Amino acid sequence: MGIEIINEPSVIYGKPSLASIDDAIIKPTNEVPSKKYFMALSVTITMLLIGAVSLGLTFYKGTGLWGLKNPVGWGFDIVNFVFWVGIGHAGTLISAILFLFRQKWRTGIARFAEGMTIFAVMTAALFPAIHTGRPWLDGYLMPYPNQHWLWPNFTSPLLWDVFAISTYFTVSFVFWYIGLIPDFATMRDKLAKNADSITQKIKKVAYTVLSLGWRFSNRHWSHYEMMYLVLAGFATPLVLSVHTIVSFDFAVSIIPGWHTTIFPPYFVAGAIFSGFAMVQNVLIIIRKIFDLEHIITIDTLEKMNKIILVTGMMVGYAYGMEFFIAWYSGHEAESFAFINRAFGPFAWSYWIMVSCNVIFPQLFWSKKLRTNIYFMFVIGVLVNVGMWFERFVITVTSLSRDFLPSSWSYYVPSLIDFGILIGSFGLFFTLLFIFIRTMPVVSIAEVKAVIEGSQPTHHHDDEGH
Amino acid sequence: MSNTELYTKKPLPSKLLIFGAVVTLIGAAMSGIAFAGDVQRASFGLIMALMLLISVGFGSLFLIALEYLVGADWSVPFRRITEIVAATSIISILVAIPLLLNLHEVFTWLRPELLQADKYVAKKAPYLNETFFLVRVIIAFLIMAAFYYIFSIRSFKQDLNPTEGFRKTSAKFAALFMPVFAITISVIAMDWMMSLNPKWFSTIYGVYYFAGSVLAALAVVTFIAITLGENGYLSKKLSNDHYYNFGALMFAFTNFWAYIAFSQFLLIWYANIPDETLWFMDRTQGEWMILSLILIFVKFGIPYFALLTRPSKGNPFRLRIIAAWIFFAHVYDMYWNVGPEYSKLAGLKGPVYGLAELAAPIITIGLIAVVFYLVGKGKNLMPVNDAKFKKSLDFHL
Amino acid sequence: MEEKILHSVTGIFETPDDIIKAAKGVSSAGYKKYDIHTPYPVHGMDKAMKLPWSPLGYVALVLGLTGASLAILLMWWTMSVDYPIVIGGKPLFALPAFIPVTFELTVLSASIGTVLAMIIFLFKFPNTSHPLHDTPYIKKVSSDKYGVSIEASDKMFDLNKAKDFLHKLGAKDIEEIYWDNEELNTVKTIWDKKFLGGLVMIAIIVGGGTYFAINKLVYMTPFNWMMEQPRLDAQSVPVYFNDGFSMRQPVEGTVARGWMPYLITDADTAQLSDAKYMNPVPPTEFNLNKGQRNYNVFCSPCHDYHGTGVSRLKAANKQDFPNPPSLHSAKLRGWSDARIYHVITKGQNTMPSYALQITPEERWQIVHYVRTLQRAMNAKPEDVK
Repeated sequence: MGIEIINEPSVIYGKPSLASIDDAIIKPTNEVPSKKYFMALSVTITMLLIGAVSLGLTFYKGTGLWGLKNPVGWGFDIVNFVFWVGIGHAGTLISAILFLFRQKWRTGIARFAEGMTIFAVMTAALFPAIHTGRPWLDGYLMPYPNQHWLWPNFTSPLLWDVFAISTYFTVSFVFWYIGLIPDFATMRDKLAKNADSITQKIKKVAYTVLSLGWRFSNRHWSHYEMMYLVLAGFATPLVLSVHTIVSFDFAVSIIPGWHTTIFPPYFVAGAIFSGFAMVQNVLIIIRKIFDLEHIITIDTLEKMNKIILVTGMMVGYAYGMEFFIAWYSGHEAESFAFINRAFGPFAWSYWIMVSCNVIFPQLFWSKKLRTNIYFMFVIGVLVNVGMWFERFVITVTSLSRDFLPSSWSYYVPSLIDFGILIGSFGLFFTLLFIFIRTMPVVSIAEVKAVIEGSQPTHHHDDEGH
Repeated sequence: MSNTELYTKKPLPSKLLIFGAVVTLIGAAMSGIAFAGDVQRASFGLIMALMLLISVGFGSLFLIALEYLVGADWSVPFRRITEIVAATSIISILVAIPLLLNLHEVFTWLRPELLQADKYVAKKAPYLNETFFLVRVIIAFLIMAAFYYIFSIRSFKQDLNPTEGFRKTSAKFAALFMPVFAITISVIAMDWMMSLNPKWFSTIYGVYYFAGSVLAALAVVTFIAITLGENGYLSKKLSNDHYYNFGALMFAFTNFWAYIAFSQFLLIWYANIPDETLWFMDRTQGEWMILSLILIFVKFGIPYFALLTRPSKGNPFRLRIIAAWIFFAHVYDMYWNVGPEYSKLAGLKGPVYGLAELAAPIITIGLIAVVFYLVGKGKNLMPVNDAKFKKSLDFHL
Repeated sequence: MEEKILHSVTGIFETPDDIIKAAKGVSSAGYKKYDIHTPYPVHGMDKAMKLPWSPLGYVALVLGLTGASLAILLMWWTMSVDYPIVIGGKPLFALPAFIPVTFELTVLSASIGTVLAMIIFLFKFPNTSHPLHDTPYIKKVSSDKYGVSIEASDKMFDLNKAKDFLHKLGAKDIEEIYWDNEELNTVKTIWDKKFLGGLVMIAIIVGGGTYFAINKLVYMTPFNWMMEQPRLDAQSVPVYFNDGFSMRQPVEGTVARGWMPYLITDADTAQLSDAKYMNPVPPTEFNLNKGQRNYNVFCSPCHDYHGTGVSRLKAANKQDFPNPPSLHSAKLRGWSDARIYHVITKGQNTMPSYALQITPEERWQIVHYVRTLQRAMNAKPEDVK
């Protein structure tokens, strides 16, 4: 009774040979980049320079150049920080959590998403460093026996951040590098031992060093797979903990609108939401530029859109729950904080947030829209705008109306603030573009392992099973 | 076709019905004696029973929907068991009825004197009032019944009459189910448990109950699946790799529960706002402090280390013990949530446990057994006509 | 040409099914030192090769627990022992607040430690001079073929037999891999010039870097506008004001912090009743002891330890120094506390003011002590009971 034909989309379109996968993935690193690439790179580097100038001015003159004033002491710096950490989360989710759930469709995008994680965390880490106001003293955040006999305050969520972000960066980096080792080895072996051209020689040496001498031994693969599982097992709670700790920055305080117990899971959901939107956006560009349509398939993108839909609804649930409990608590300050969000002077940002995060993603219920490249790209951009504004709403609206009505004020970011924001995008995309050109953006070994016919057909009927 | 070769129907033994009926009657008798003695205390006991049954029933519906949504292979052979267990969500009405008759005993917000004394509670009257409460309870039961029909009864029908596109429509309903489920289970948790202390509020409470519910449902399904599998009621092709996933999921949700519980505690403890800490104050003073510490080990520490290693997840015998333990842990968790409110109301310093409290898990276990027999009687215990059935039996890690 | 030393014999297989079969064949033939090389992990290979279960999971567990304990230890030491400060009304050892950092350090130590353990101890990496490197064999297995290599160091290895065996298994491109003589013949010695040179270089770089970091870098003040901000210093040339002062005079009636003006004049003494100015210091044992101590230091030279007025000063100096009146006269006993306080503060007749030596609180303590002396020297019969 074969009632239904289960149409499980394959991870990779067609049945490419193993060698052709090597070529497809390694090709971008060997060719001279196209004009388009340099144009894109020059745009991002310009953005980066704008950020560098803004930051330089900030260092030279001080944080007075920002739009911060009492009572809004946290502004763009924290908003950007939370935004970029959130972007990073999707990468770990794709590489670790989906790995644990044995979702094979992740293989095409895992490497790329991990790279994004690292660059996003690097970008994010910039903001807590500068928002201390005197970044040259940030070293004291590390617990070492310094000459002042001072220890950091381990009960402060801001210090938890330091540990969370640095651990997250280190572990993501190692996870990413571990995955790259076999691919570096493949690239090393594509090059002849005594190549003529100097670039080939440099490449050979670089890949030899980076691959650590990997030789595809199954005695190694056995440990390697275990290692990957262990790392994924650690990275999964780690990724949850990082945004949880970021949410603690707000939620352990007693400021209405910040102190609410749903913050940890709500922030994690929001992080995955915006991160997936960002990964989806960038992947759409990458697969177009580098002809990877058969590896980064439309099915993969559709699955990502489904996750965007789900996490978007989780975020919507949190918005609703916050609003309801603010009323339910019966506290004037709580109810005021939320009514002020929706109808106060910052109502415009609140409604941008709600429409971009909750309303527009609902269009993904339709399969037609979900699989339309242009449409999903637009929604992805909107989601990122919405999620940036979510952090803005949380940070600014609550602070601008503090407990003393005489000090209420309106927050206006300065040009320098925008400069740093643009610079953060510049930094992220510049790093990303360089990564795309120099390293395999798709995991060669993993893709080979999941294509049709790459695994033995009858390995289950072993003896003694 | 060959699906019948993979699975041969073996009727459930009537022993199960007798066991379930006897246990249910014992539980009901205990609760009845408690009611004769102290209506208030017995009602609090029944709240625990109700929350447990909804946990198992509604949590099972969630597991079914999750399977459709993520397209999991390994859980297909067990979906029928989950579908049958989901019927407990309907049967929980039996427990809800005596409670609904005694609402005034448990909910202080129904007492006018309190409404006058506390302006914060008085403000909640538009939500916390008897009519609206009943409306919400009825809607919640209707939602559970509707999805029980959609997921379970349609799947039973498919056994007799294989229908085209069953999986596709179910997956669509599963997508619809998720937001409805999220709101409904939060409302249930807030209505029945959070409002026991009408002053207290926590936005994460719905998620907290959700985490516990999924654990409880998983534990019950795991326990039943392994028991049936070992006694030859399921396909011979099932391997330890299938059961392994139950262990992995229980491990994941144990961590998730701990994460949610810790987040709730840390935020309230750290901010130290009187209206929020009062709930934890009730649970950290006197003997309750000891019970709270025990909860950490019962619901997180022990299952965590029991499920951490791969061999323990892959061994059905051990997995069944852990599943039983996790169900027990959920019972304990519900007691930890409900019990202190009774102690406070009755003016007691410490916890009480007796017939009224013990009746809750006994009634729950008995009802699950009865429901499983009555619903599962004469049905295939595996969804043999599911399009993925054959493929899912071949599942290997 | 010296003879090359054989490392292994290799054979290539085309499909994953073949390589699984080959792996089973080689392992059941009794070879111990062999390896399978595949471009990606092939399912079921561990079983086919009869490899033991990887111990890395347990390594991670141990490292994680170590990291957790060290984290707790660090926070306990810094927050509760070495630098205890109460923050936010939380206990010094605030375990819930330590959990986030503990968790992060657990994950950090476990994941990084496990990776290093794998790379260094299990793989013995980095090692880029394995004989298999840069052979046609590894170029194939790194791309799309599957290979078996049987090593010459295996006990039952025999070149021809091994070749036949591989042939029988269906291998193609059977190939002999030799050690690189250049590498084998390189004698490793500490006195190698390159090695020593490298050491010297590293020493110079590390030493110089450390010197720079410790002596220069940490003392650099990259931005010190905080210290150079515009401000008016005391005694500096006035910029804004014409009266010759940079500092402003405080407003009339300004009172310094922590200082109370003493407004009682000698003329007021008659009104210094107990009712109006009560002794603010309670007559506790502590205050009396302090009062005694200060009385003995400041008052007793003239007034005597017991307040009789027999001056030690007079006895020592043999000068014409008048004895003060006794403190036990009826007149003095009738004085209010505040009156005595006033005398200590302002002085009386020959007695100078003690306001500079004795703080107001200490003066009140002395008053208590004087009262005690008065009572002791003029005890009533009831007091003895």
